[in-house]
Amino acid sequence: MGCSLASSLVDLKKKLKRDIDPDLLFIEPSEMVVTSELRDVTAMGLRDVRYATGPFITLVDGPLFGFLWSERRALLLGQVKNADLVAVSRADLIAADELATIKERLQDHCDRPMVLSAQNGANVQKVAHLID
Amino acid sequence: MRVVSVSGARGCGKTTLIRKLVGYFSAAGKRSAVIVNEEGQAVYDDDFIHAHGLTVKYIRGG
Repeated sequence: MGCSLASSLVDLKKKLKRDIDPDLLFIEPSEMVVTSELRDVTAMGLRDVRYATGPFITLVDGPLFGFLWSERRALLLGQVKNADLVAVSRADLIAADELATIKERLQDHCDRPMVLSAQNGANVQKVAHLID
Repeated sequence: MRVVSVSGARGCGKTTLIRKLVGYFSAAGKRSAVIVNEEGQAVYDDDFIHAHGLTVKYIRGG
């Protein structure tokens, strides 16, 4: 994440806190951002406004996992590492053996990943409870 | 205010999950905002924004 983008993100968070102060502020970052960068940027805003942070959630795309693992492993693991919650998303679109492979490959990099399908609602409520 | 991030590859379901969570918390009387740093289609439509009192801000770059 570039310095100007990080600065914009911090400024926007502070502005939203001061102007609206929502109960929840969701950040949907670029696909190229890793979790440690997000943590750093989130911490920067705490210098002059108060807010709670986390969880930092990383979704691992089930159907795209093969490509991510072979072509973008450093990025994928950079998003998995330091995440509070890792979830295999779109899990309804992959077979059970593919899901088992994903879990096996991630087991050295995170705690047991949650299995998620936002389309059919599987485990979405569990994520909400973790936030609440 | 609690800051929650949802990371992942493009198309992995970040927006879908956030929309579900916004709906869940809206039903519980909680107000949400979203900062989107993902290039692409507009996915928070006006109907959804109005229905949940959602604030959406976009920032460019990655």
